[in-house]
Amino acid sequence: MSRDTNETAEFLGPEDEGLLQELRAAVRRFDPPPDSVLEVARASLTWRTIDAELAALEFDSAVDVAATAVRSSEGPRLLTFAAPGLSIEVEVSPIGPRRQLVGQLVPAQAARIDVRHAGGVTTVRADQLGRFGADAISAGPVSLRCHLGDAPSSPPVVTEWIPL
Amino acid sequence: MGASIDVRDLARAAAGGDQHGWDGLVERFGELVWSTIRAYGLSPGDGADAAQTTWLLLAEQLGHLEAQHERLGVWLAATARRESLRLLGAARVATAAPNSPPATEPAAGAQGREALLWRVVRELPEHCRRLLRVLLTVPPPSHEEVSAALDLPVAGIAAARAACLQDFRHRMSNFSIRAELEDS
Repeated sequence: MSRDTNETAEFLGPEDEGLLQELRAAVRRFDPPPDSVLEVARASLTWRTIDAELAALEFDSAVDVAATAVRSSEGPRLLTFAAPGLSIEVEVSPIGPRRQLVGQLVPAQAARIDVRHAGGVTTVRADQLGRFGADAISAGPVSLRCHLGDAPSSPPVVTEWIPL
Repeated sequence: MGASIDVRDLARAAAGGDQHGWDGLVERFGELVWSTIRAYGLSPGDGADAAQTTWLLLAEQLGHLEAQHERLGVWLAATARRESLRLLGAARVATAAPNSPPATEPAAGAQGREALLWRVVRELPEHCRRLLRVLLTVPPPSHEEVSAALDLPVAGIAAARAACLQDFRHRMSNFSIRAELEDS
């Protein structure tokens, strides 16, 4: 556990090292990682999808336009994920503690979509035009797993997790 | 470099679905992720979401990160930083109000030297508060991990730490307990 200490000890006198030890004890007492956070971290491995194609978050209106759109924040949050050959556009609207998703696959195509969230997995279908919607999604981290209609044997496309 | 070999073994096992390997990664880096998030002042609720998102992203991407298995702490710190900034940005849009730094107050009546140390840490200027919050992680993070957590150049960390510790001592002396500090 203390293997890395030498690196931190660079340029530190014994007094500094002693003070850092005391401060570490204070942090451990007053701001440790909550047990619930570590428990959720340990449980995260079960959500992995083997052999999935990853769709990266390319645009998030909450971050990418936050600096300029101070008062136009009442509309839905817009997200775009991109994988090779597929974009997934999602509008997110808060409804109390829940989230409503309305999405579009580009290019348009039918798909089965698993919306993975704190409340479990909500499975919906995208129609031939690539449109889909999901209600009553729990706030917190969300990821979409898309099984594309015209390629049922190909690996699913999984979006990055993002807290909604 | 034994530590990095351990991490690589844990990462390889976890990438293959081994829960013990994964638990080992959480034990090794759980505090680094939390420290990074807290360094940015996220509330406990947002902080829990940022931490969960960071670990979910790792679970999903571990198999694609083989080249970084030796430097997973750097990847986790950078991801925790990015997710913290995302949640701070989303909160600003949602509330159109600045996120006030959540105070983890020592419980009312918390006495003694640790409570005083913690109070002084929280009164430091923001850049020092952030740096110390990450540096005080157990096990102590590498400079590369600190750099990733705070988006600071590696070369400047030792000097910044020295300056912040000096500032800390100065503030402690204003509490008139310098004698106690030097005695200990």
